[in-house]
Amino acid sequence: MRLEKCWFCSSTVYPGHGIQFVRNDAKIFRFCRSKCHKNFKMKRNPRKVKWTKAYRRLNGKDMTQDSTFEFERKRNRPERYDRSLAENTLKAIKKIDKIRVAREERHHSKRMVGKKSKERKEAAVELEQGITMVKAPSVLAQDQSLTLPKIKVKVSQAQSEKNQPMEE
Amino acid sequence: MAANLASKCSRVGRSLFLGLGNNLSNLLSTSHEMTHSHFLSQQQRTFIQMRTVLKVMDNSGAKKVMCIQALKGKKGARLGDTIVASVKEAMPNGKVKKEKVVYGVVVRAAMQRGRCDGSEVKFDDNAVVLVDKQGQPIGTRVFGPVPHELRKKKHVKILTLAEHIA
Repeated sequence: MRLEKCWFCSSTVYPGHGIQFVRNDAKIFRFCRSKCHKNFKMKRNPRKVKWTKAYRRLNGKDMTQDSTFEFERKRNRPERYDRSLAENTLKAIKKIDKIRVAREERHHSKRMVGKKSKERKEAAVELEQGITMVKAPSVLAQDQSLTLPKIKVKVSQAQSEKNQPMEE
Repeated sequence: MAANLASKCSRVGRSLFLGLGNNLSNLLSTSHEMTHSHFLSQQQRTFIQMRTVLKVMDNSGAKKVMCIQALKGKKGARLGDTIVASVKEAMPNGKVKKEKVVYGVVVRAAMQRGRCDGSEVKFDDNAVVLVDKQGQPIGTRVFGPVPHELRKKKHVKILTLAEHIA
């Protein structure tokens, strides 16, 4: 049994799943689900479809080069069974997975550095330009600040009690 | 089979009629035509049944055959099944002449077929390899990819002749 990769989204195709299309030049296209098969039939390029692995790798959204990826490899010769080797492999899988997840987390946080400040800056610029939508020019002339004056509203208890039976 | 064909024809006819109506009322006639062509290009693939024309993928001399009977299955033949066909196009000096009735094994089908592990496989076109009544191939070469399911159907000879096994 071999775990293949989906041609479109590069996810793993487990035995018994998906559909494979054989072109006349004997190139095999494997798809993990009908979503990927349909996208292929629509002649979409996986590098241009945002949810695929190909797009994410190409645009720096995911890690591309990492030593943890090198454990997963296509081997054409079956490994001879060795009890201790199998045991060690099973132990290593957990450890490597942990490392990989941590590295992916780090990659993501590194990618997100400066995003918040950038968003704040953009919002500030938008507020500066569109302040007339929030405050009338005459009010703005009296009070130069970009924030709205704080108004305290008293909510009476009786009203909220009245509302409750209505909801039920 | 005939009923199936008739229903398909009527569907096409109806949509054509609708298209005419749209033209009369001058409403989005071009876009309707486009969707119509799209429907034709992404047609549902079906069984290999009577009057299906298949390519011949060996050097027996025939180029195109038309299915006249599927030897197995009520609805028609699928990938790996044997059919009876009549030769529609042939090379001038081949083993098989035009208008002969021959047997053939479907080696490629555009309709998907379930595999033993539950996944599915489909091909680009409908193609056949001509065999005699005993199941021995008439030609000496087989072109293009061929599914490994032929082994289950006891057509090992075709598999050994094939270039690619998918």
